[in-house]
Amino acid sequence: MLNDLRELWKHRELLGILVRRDLKVRYKNSRLGFLWSIAPPLMQVACITFALKHATSFAADFPNYSAYVLVAMIPWTYFQTAILDSSQSLLLMYGVIKKVALPREIIPLSNAISNFIHFLLSWAVFFVYWWLFVRGPILPSTPLFLYLILVQFMLVTGLSLLVACLNVFYEDVKYIVSILMGLGLFVLPIIYVVEQPYYSATSFLKGWRFDLFMLNPLTSLITGYRKALLEPPPASVLGGNPLPLDYGNLAATGLLSLAVLAASYWYFNLRKWQFVERP
Amino acid sequence: MSAPVTASLRPGAPQAAEPAIRVRGLHKTFVIQHRQAGTLKRAVLNAFRRYPREVREVLRGIDLEIRQGETVALIGRNGSGKSTLLSLIARVYRPTAGAIEVHGPVAPLLELGAGFHPDLTGVENLELYGAILGMSRRQIAERLESIVSFAFDTPDLAEKIDIPLRNYSDGMKMRLGFSIAIHTDPDILIVDEVLAVGDEAFQNKCYRKIGELQHQGKTILFVSHDMHVVRQVATRVVWLHNGLIRMDDGVEEVVRAYVEAADRADFGQAPEPPTPAL
Repeated sequence: MLNDLRELWKHRELLGILVRRDLKVRYKNSRLGFLWSIAPPLMQVACITFALKHATSFAADFPNYSAYVLVAMIPWTYFQTAILDSSQSLLLMYGVIKKVALPREIIPLSNAISNFIHFLLSWAVFFVYWWLFVRGPILPSTPLFLYLILVQFMLVTGLSLLVACLNVFYEDVKYIVSILMGLGLFVLPIIYVVEQPYYSATSFLKGWRFDLFMLNPLTSLITGYRKALLEPPPASVLGGNPLPLDYGNLAATGLLSLAVLAASYWYFNLRKWQFVERP
Repeated sequence: MSAPVTASLRPGAPQAAEPAIRVRGLHKTFVIQHRQAGTLKRAVLNAFRRYPREVREVLRGIDLEIRQGETVALIGRNGSGKSTLLSLIARVYRPTAGAIEVHGPVAPLLELGAGFHPDLTGVENLELYGAILGMSRRQIAERLESIVSFAFDTPDLAEKIDIPLRNYSDGMKMRLGFSIAIHTDPDILIVDEVLAVGDEAFQNKCYRKIGELQHQGKTILFVSHDMHVVRQVATRVVWLHNGLIRMDDGVEEVVRAYVEAADRADFGQAPEPPTPAL
């Protein structure tokens, strides 16, 4: 694994060029390329807000509901697109890996990194929205934002390597992944906040089940982003006092993400020589 | 260094030259899954099922030493292992057994323009492909003009370097690919039948360039089915047959024997290497 890392370091310029290529291709087709590529999650946020706040009464009393959805939608979109892009990446570059000797992990890595850069840029949209419509106080927990971004980068990059590798051998991996992604909108606290199931009288998520729910690294990250950037919604919406930031949970998520990255990188290197093994 | 006189060392090859490529006892076996799991679904549902596998020995013990400055042509019929050998030397495959030593930077021209992206312009693709072939950004910047002028000799073609690659003809893409690969300044060139690109004028230019590289003492290993080209370019010919070296000698001797065998349709006894089912 150390040798693989050394080889990767030698090719860092190529990695940079591949990342730049990804971003160029993504933003190229229109002059408003960046805004165009950020439009789908914004439309989703707008529709969710309309459906749950204006068409039904679920979030009717939830002040600044869109901000809470947006702060979850940005990391969730990054997670989805990075992993789905990576699942295709090796097959798209199959011609290259079959003909040129280069560290093959560089291909899903460049994908994960360009999606990460896009993710960082996407936060600008949130901050503009925040400045225009929320303008709450800067919270003491805001610096946590940087930690969360780093942890999510490790998690997403690790899973990208794993999915990219599996998709070379099993052609249905990308379909399975996209189906799982479709569940995320409901399984993760995107349209709701974690206090709602926690306090709800009829909730299934009580006791150990709630702890299990919070162990999902994405649930933990989304909750972290929310608490780092926005003031908690009023107790009338939550059904009780806002839960405090759970530093133990966030530390566990960090360790888990690091483990996912290391294990995926190890597995990728184990199998990368079999990618083109065909006479 | 006192060069060991091996069977592969022929008059015509400079005796004192250092080896550029040394292949010893090279075996390459591919495992072919006839009905592979293919999908994760099937892999899970049939977790304990053994699929029939076929082991195909494509290379069955190759010993080959190529010295600096030699131009070696690999010939042989389809499926004899030529491309597999090139891919192994280019480090795209790993050997099943045996060792490969390569001294000096290699330019693998196994496929021109692998990794070109249709949405990017010619220059952007040039930078990308150059980096894939191992050039640093500084080297690419320094050689940019030379690459473009070699690929597109007329000004109206050269202008196209700034338009997206989707508007290029196949020939133009090949020209660009060849020009980039040749400008990586390799010591060793590995070429897999990619020289049949472009129009006649460009082909002549490619062969002139190869002649130039030969004069500079570069090592070239190429696969070709065109005996005319082999006679023109090579200084030594290796005939690969069923994963073994059948003949390794001067150009005329091997080409004549190969053509005669082809005319008689006599490619030896074994039709295919043995394929035991596991």
